[in-house]
Amino acid sequence: MKKILTILLVVAAIANSYGQAKKPTIMVVPSDRLCISKNFSMTFDNQGTEIVLPDYKKALQTDGDLRLIISKMSGIMADRGFPLKDLEQELKNLEQQAAETSMMMSKGGSELAESPIDMLKRTAKADIIMDLDFEIKQQGPRKYIVFTLNGLDAYTSKNVASAAGTGAPSSAAAPELLLEEAVLSYMDEFNGRLMTHFEDMFAKGREVKVMVKVWDSAEYDLEDEFDLNGETDEFGIFIEDWMADNTVEGRFNLSDGTSNFQKYEQVRIPMFYERNGKQRAMDTRRFVNNLRKYLAKEPFMMECKVYMRGLGEAHLIIGEK
Amino acid sequence: MKKIKNITSLLVVVVLFAVNCSAQSKNKVRKLEYNSTYNYEVATVAVGVDGTKLIKVWGYGKKVEDAIRKAKQDAVACAISRGFPAGAGGRAAATPAIVTDSDVFTKNEAYFTTFFEPGGKYLQYVNLSTDAPPSGADRVKVNKKTYKVGVTISIAFNELRKEMEKEGIARSLDSGF
Repeated sequence: MKKILTILLVVAAIANSYGQAKKPTIMVVPSDRLCISKNFSMTFDNQGTEIVLPDYKKALQTDGDLRLIISKMSGIMADRGFPLKDLEQELKNLEQQAAETSMMMSKGGSELAESPIDMLKRTAKADIIMDLDFEIKQQGPRKYIVFTLNGLDAYTSKNVASAAGTGAPSSAAAPELLLEEAVLSYMDEFNGRLMTHFEDMFAKGREVKVMVKVWDSAEYDLEDEFDLNGETDEFGIFIEDWMADNTVEGRFNLSDGTSNFQKYEQVRIPMFYERNGKQRAMDTRRFVNNLRKYLAKEPFMMECKVYMRGLGEAHLIIGEK
Repeated sequence: MKKIKNITSLLVVVVLFAVNCSAQSKNKVRKLEYNSTYNYEVATVAVGVDGTKLIKVWGYGKKVEDAIRKAKQDAVACAISRGFPAGAGGRAAATPAIVTDSDVFTKNEAYFTTFFEPGGKYLQYVNLSTDAPPSGADRVKVNKKTYKVGVTISIAFNELRKEMEKEGIARSLDSGF
């Protein structure tokens, strides 16, 4: 009996020590083409150049078809364990948050600290964007749907899942029914590809983007030389070595760089790390923070700032916090 | 004259033996194809209502009823291991398999033996079918012993997927998160 209890306790402890990976947030966003073609757009004059931007608020407030599709997709994704972030609600929250932030005051009369970058960060965001596009077309008396759904990773800009096609023409079915049919038809294909993306992520690590930058006040740039373990080389090369040692199977790509910046793409970071004997979920900020700690030691002794851009992108800025 | 007779008899025996061998070999191939876990004759008919797939599947059997039963089993097995192809003329998009591992049936043999036995749990996921014996082009007598029958079936795809996820056979989309 004692033996069984001990085994059960050990199993429970092991199960408890395993963490869960960071779950990406997903949001359906109508495509630029869809918004602009239906006149849900805003036009700006940017120093003589006309810029057309989608007006999501107007689109969601007026287009019933769009609401129907998003609602249908949300139901399907929630059923698969991925409740979607609702764009309309997110936009409302942001407005409310902005109003509250501007009005909030402490008893002593202090306002909330907010830098220009904090203000810029107040936008509707998700880790994976489901870029939705559809069009109801007519062929004589018959109508049909052209449907495109792209799952875009917000950080790597990669299309991680997609489903697209043209529905069968029908003269009897209402357009709303055809739209509903299109969602039901393509969502399994889309989720199948999303599943492949997640399986790849668990096998080879999460694919993220890391930027290394230098403040203009920094004492060193990426081409200055250092001695480490009897080896003399450029600072940037030592950072590259650290990336090779700390990414999953050394997978990363230094796609661009100068003496002032390095751009690392296709960086595969582990899904978990261990802290206090427990497995915890790793994100890019945590990964880059490890690089910051490495650079704070001998021989570099540098102070660096870690700037986070969501789950899959972080910047390390060398020189000061 | 006797010699010619003997040669003719020998030739007849050889030809008969060859024909028999060929027929046996053909039967063997046919039997292997019937019993193969990779051989599904399935077409998507249209987009099913929420959570279902509307497909047409062909089954083989000694009697029409046996062929219908085999068709139902094949439809469920195909949903699990192979998925359904896209419907012709944009009627429906392709449906991926619930389990991506093609050896799913051998790896979980004990579970699937019970699942697919006559009157087994698989029937829970066959929503609607043309149970009345099909006629015309949907009922073909392949040979003296075999019928090939086509039935239109609605598979409760989402429920089937959930069952596979619950049993740990399929990985759910949010597993690991």
